[in-house]
Amino acid sequence: MKYALKRILMLLVTMLIVSFLTFAAFALISGDPAEAMLGTEATPEQLAALRHELGLDRPFLTRYIAWLAGFFTGDLGTSIRYRQPVWELIAPKLEVTLCLCLVSFVIITAVSIPLAIWSYRWVGGAFDWLRTAFNQLCMAVPPFFTGILISWLFGILLRLFVPGDFPGLHANFGRALVHLFFAAVCLCIPRCAMTVRMMRSTVIGEMQKAYVRTAISRGNDRRAVLTRHVLKNSLTATVTFLGQTMAELVGGSVVVEQVFGIPGLGRLLVASISTRDYPVVQTVVVILAFWVVLAGTLADLINQRIDPRLRLGGDA
Amino acid sequence: MKKRINGYLLAGLIITGILLLMTLVGVFYTPCDPNAMSMGEKFLSPRAAHLFGTDNFGRDIFSRVLKGSGTTLAIALATVAIGAVAGTLVGAATGYFGGIVDDTLMRLNDALTAFPSILLALLVISIVGPGKYNVVLALGIVFIPSFARVTRTAFAGLRDVNYITSARLMGASHFRIMAAHMLPNTLRVLLPAITIGFNNAVLAEASMSFLGIGVTPPDASLGYMLSEAQGMFSRAPWYALCTGGVIALLVFGAGLIGEGLQKIDREVA
Amino acid sequence: MKKRILAVILLLGMLTTLLAACGSKGANPEKRREANEIVIGIPQDFDSLDPDHMTAAGTKEVMFNVYEGLVKPTSDGNIVPAVASDVNVSSDGLTYTFTLRQGVKFHNGDTVDMQDVLFSLKRRMSEDDAAAHLAALDIIADVNGQGDTLTITLSEPSGEFLAYMMNVFIIPAEYEESAVSMGTGPFKVVSHTAQDSLVLERFDDYWGTAAKVAKVTCKIIEKADALVRGLQSGALDMVSHMTYAQTSQLKKESFHVEEGSMNLVQALYLNNSVKPFDDVRVRQALCYAIDKQGIIDLAFDGYGTPLGTSMFPSFAKYYDASLTDYYPHNEDKARELLKEAGYPNGFEMTITVPSNYQPHVDTAQVIVEQLKKVGVTATILPVEWNSWLSDVYGKSEFQSTITGLTSDNMTARKLLERFNTKAGNNFTKYNNSDYDELYAQAVSCTDDARQVELYQQMERNLTENAANVYIQDMADLVALRAGLEGLTFYPLYAVDLSTLYWG
Repeated sequence: MKYALKRILMLLVTMLIVSFLTFAAFALISGDPAEAMLGTEATPEQLAALRHELGLDRPFLTRYIAWLAGFFTGDLGTSIRYRQPVWELIAPKLEVTLCLCLVSFVIITAVSIPLAIWSYRWVGGAFDWLRTAFNQLCMAVPPFFTGILISWLFGILLRLFVPGDFPGLHANFGRALVHLFFAAVCLCIPRCAMTVRMMRSTVIGEMQKAYVRTAISRGNDRRAVLTRHVLKNSLTATVTFLGQTMAELVGGSVVVEQVFGIPGLGRLLVASISTRDYPVVQTVVVILAFWVVLAGTLADLINQRIDPRLRLGGDA
Repeated sequence: MKKRINGYLLAGLIITGILLLMTLVGVFYTPCDPNAMSMGEKFLSPRAAHLFGTDNFGRDIFSRVLKGSGTTLAIALATVAIGAVAGTLVGAATGYFGGIVDDTLMRLNDALTAFPSILLALLVISIVGPGKYNVVLALGIVFIPSFARVTRTAFAGLRDVNYITSARLMGASHFRIMAAHMLPNTLRVLLPAITIGFNNAVLAEASMSFLGIGVTPPDASLGYMLSEAQGMFSRAPWYALCTGGVIALLVFGAGLIGEGLQKIDREVA
Repeated sequence: MKKRILAVILLLGMLTTLLAACGSKGANPEKRREANEIVIGIPQDFDSLDPDHMTAAGTKEVMFNVYEGLVKPTSDGNIVPAVASDVNVSSDGLTYTFTLRQGVKFHNGDTVDMQDVLFSLKRRMSEDDAAAHLAALDIIADVNGQGDTLTITLSEPSGEFLAYMMNVFIIPAEYEESAVSMGTGPFKVVSHTAQDSLVLERFDDYWGTAAKVAKVTCKIIEKADALVRGLQSGALDMVSHMTYAQTSQLKKESFHVEEGSMNLVQALYLNNSVKPFDDVRVRQALCYAIDKQGIIDLAFDGYGTPLGTSMFPSFAKYYDASLTDYYPHNEDKARELLKEAGYPNGFEMTITVPSNYQPHVDTAQVIVEQLKKVGVTATILPVEWNSWLSDVYGKSEFQSTITGLTSDNMTARKLLERFNTKAGNNFTKYNNSDYDELYAQAVSCTDDARQVELYQQMERNLTENAANVYIQDMADLVALRAGLEGLTFYPLYAVDLSTLYWG
């Protein structure tokens, strides 16, 4: 319990640093929302008046503290570009990105864990090198390139989904899910390969340990040892890795959303950075960072449940 | 265990070696001027005169790939160098000293890790602007935390090992202990981290180019060319396939080397 | 084990069937044709639906269908009455009398009255709302609205006043309280989802010729190649502002491509206040060194009209075609001029380019190659659009830049005023007293023929002094699905959706 509390405290501190860093970054970027809004027609007087209206002429720290105070009282501010409450703007995008990550996560666990176990049976076999090579190859292709190939093959040639027409989760859930599925596939290919590779090397490492050799030499069946002991012991590493995967997926979705035209957080973020819509950027960054930290924390907490040894050590 | 030829390492070294050689040649000689445009030679499919065909300006893609892989390699290596050196310094300090140094630096490290990597790169580029050197800077920063974490764990593990304690008792300075005694022992974990880092750098550079925050023309990197090529996919598929193929080979080769290193590591252990 | 593999294969097979079943119900051009709907692809989101707050050209061109002023433009470049039925200008050019058209309705069904018109006008005149303030209206001395007659008195005559009135869109007096954006145009806004889509529906009570299609969805897709895939997949029916490289990827039997012009002046704009561009000989040398037609051929597949000054052919009245070849491509002459100016071995320069505009980036790449031949080493410096606005356009912190400048109200003044020394947006820091003198005369001139003459003299002045290296008016390639007809081009940045129909 104490450990959980400590983790949560650390999480808060991290989030605070993240939000401050983002805010500071925005103070350094050239160009501000007033210029973005007025475009090429702007006169210096107009710019000054608009900056005042938006509160951009206040000192940096005052603005940060005001934002922070707002954040903690549940007021995320108003998007400068859309003149719409930030939360209203973000909520539907968050939904889509969460769905995309969830679909990807399900695919990754459903594909890579059985694949890893299956591939372990072939360690040292004749075609082992082929599988390793294939695995490496999956990791070597940039996701946006796979994305383009996938939209070509499944979207335009086979017409399984319509690139450029994401129907919206509420409008047509089934079709939206299909669209997300293909986007998820190109996020998953390298990640699955990594998971398989990681699990394989953990299992191989585990198999070389003394207790396994003892168990086998006592006449236990290799497969039974594998499923009963080895897999259980390599579970913690897998959970940690899946936690990281969850975090990485969010970053990857930024690119994939562009390729598949999915209106998610990543696209909103990229556009908001370029229009200097900092209330939106600020909130999206905090949400993404929270997601990443949360995934790590959850993985740790789950691991403590699985492996009692970790409960004593504290920071493992 | 019987000493066998390490197939992965060998294959990886061969692939990477060939690519490196071609890149090196590309620095001094390319079949055509990589930036020379030609009205009559737009979108030519691969042929003897243009091995990879030509692009929308009639430029020879093969020559551009040779030059581009130079840029990509330079970016990836510089990035990994920044990440590894800075990360190792941070990791060594936190792992060795522990306490308050550890707490402060690791919180900052956590905060950096909390940014999805592409987002962090996006923010850095927004501040410093696009361009070759800024991409290196942005990716370098992105890569520091992972190296820091790896080294920290290794250093923390070694801190209380007997020979380190003895060295300390003999009056060796902190710096000497870290540099002469601990660092060589962490190479085992650092080397695979470096190959993975290299791969991530190549792929991240490609993603950044795709988002329009990568290197700037006419400096063609492989990632920039690929993102340019995908806009003309149905007009000139060879452009995307050739550049994409070279990126994949580059990462594939380094991946195999990493695999080989890991295998050696296992066999030693 | 074998059973398990079999199970996995079965599962995959089922999944694929399911996907195929769901997917095939997707967007279908045939269905849209039956329902009389179209979907167009837009490369950037709408910055604001408020007519007085929208600044992005991409927003204005679509909202052209939603909002109207008292007067509006026609496709041949004239200004005709819209919400007003009649306009009278007094002989001294100081008094404008507008008569409101009877029975013009807002999208919610309310009739437009004088109160609405006064509100709309005052909103743009007032300085309270900085974004809405239209500086060109500062010359208004008095506004008087009674019954159906609106009288505007100016403090000084202006030949372009009506053109600026096109951008005073008529909105309801209770606009700021209402949640929806509404005007009097042929289409009404149904919904806008940030970064996803804008849905427009035909306004059946429109006072003029009603639109032909019932519904238009604008899909926002930032990536150019994703737009092309959207057309190919059947998600989109029309995309404007494409390049030849993109349209050539579309199947000829499924799409037709219409060619108009973008109505902008694409040029290598030079910062006239920094070395070496403060020397007219250097600027002229660049003009000789850069081959406009070469750029158009290489980067634009031959589509585009070469220009020689800050004016494009759509403004036929003002356009002086003889200036286009004032500096024929001549590398020897360029080298000679450079030598005279003290740069026998050339020099190094930077070209700042807004990185999100691929055509400008492409142009820059060709220019770098062309300048290499006369010994000038140019480096491309791509910046984000916002940094461009701030640093290049706002603070003139640049050496040279490539961009396209437009006139959003069909006036020559809009294109030419930014080169007068006193102009707040004189980002090229062009400094020429003759030019300033001509400009002062031109804006207060009410005699049309004389004004045209003055503007042409200004154009010549820009060309002779090589203020910038003028390149072209870019071609506007619009891809339409086969059967979608009726596209009309305007001499300003606008897409008229009301004339489109499924043939």
